[in-house]
Amino acid sequence: MTTEMQIDSYLTALRLHLGPLTIAEREEIVREISAHVRDSAEESGGSIEAILARLGPAEELAGQYRAGLLISRASRSFSPLVLLRATFRLATKGFFGVLVFFLGVFGYLMGGGMVLVALVKPIMPVNTGMWFENGRLVSSGILFPPPASPAQEVLGLWLIPLALVAGSLTLLFTTFAIRLSLRLSRQWQSRL
Amino acid sequence: MAKSRALPVDGDQPDRWEAQLRKGALEMATLASLWQGRLYGLEIIRFLENHSRLVLAEGTIYPILNRLKTEGLLTSVWVEAEAGHPRKYYSLTDAGRQRLRVMAEAWDAFSRSLTHLLEPVLKPQETTK
Repeated sequence: MTTEMQIDSYLTALRLHLGPLTIAEREEIVREISAHVRDSAEESGGSIEAILARLGPAEELAGQYRAGLLISRASRSFSPLVLLRATFRLATKGFFGVLVFFLGVFGYLMGGGMVLVALVKPIMPVNTGMWFENGRLVSSGILFPPPASPAQEVLGLWLIPLALVAGSLTLLFTTFAIRLSLRLSRQWQSRL
Repeated sequence: MAKSRALPVDGDQPDRWEAQLRKGALEMATLASLWQGRLYGLEIIRFLENHSRLVLAEGTIYPILNRLKTEGLLTSVWVEAEAGHPRKYYSLTDAGRQRLRVMAEAWDAFSRSLTHLLEPVLKPQETTK
């Protein structure tokens, strides 16, 4: 293998493993690493193998880029998908991450569920609601069939605004809790 | 150079602990290398090799630079060099300078108190006899 081919194959592997980043981010990284390899070669006159070995395997290097960018970008994001992906990554690093991940999933399911109930109420008013029997909560949500008498549905159409507000607050709270955890985890990583 | 990556992942071995310690200090050291002015990646690596014992796999520095830049602590600019290819120079932003100063103060206080704490450990003869 010629020197050029070795460098090319390293950069190709790097580009491949940087997949989830934007094209602009990826090309910037590849350009910088390529400049590093050329500068190192000129400086030391050492073999390309040694220079590439000191950089570490392309896959590992790409992994470090991805982890850093994913978490720092996510801590500024509002997208449940981006946030959950970042907490999943965090969950692979320790107990705190696992906790955040499960609380995140739980929060999104709870909040999403409540919003869903509010949306379904106008379509299936009989099956949706909050049922009480002798002053005790029997059931709530969307039920097929709805609980039979003597259980009484108590909220009626009030369910819609109430579930919407409670659901939105739960989603909002979950989002900010995850963002805070991501930021904290980064500080713990970078400072001692 | 690649030594630190070959460490075992399990347990609380001293090796791993030391690697974590270095990793934690690396971000601060990277910011500190830019205190006097802009440098490009390889210069930062050489600077860290000459001024500290944070021996590192050279690759690790680039993702750190990238992250510090996303956090707004660094800016970068491509400069055409006589070498024939452009180099990516990094410099501290105002936020980066401020952050580094805070980090340096915290580090200083932290290491002072620990040095004090560890004094007896480092001189076992005096305390045990």
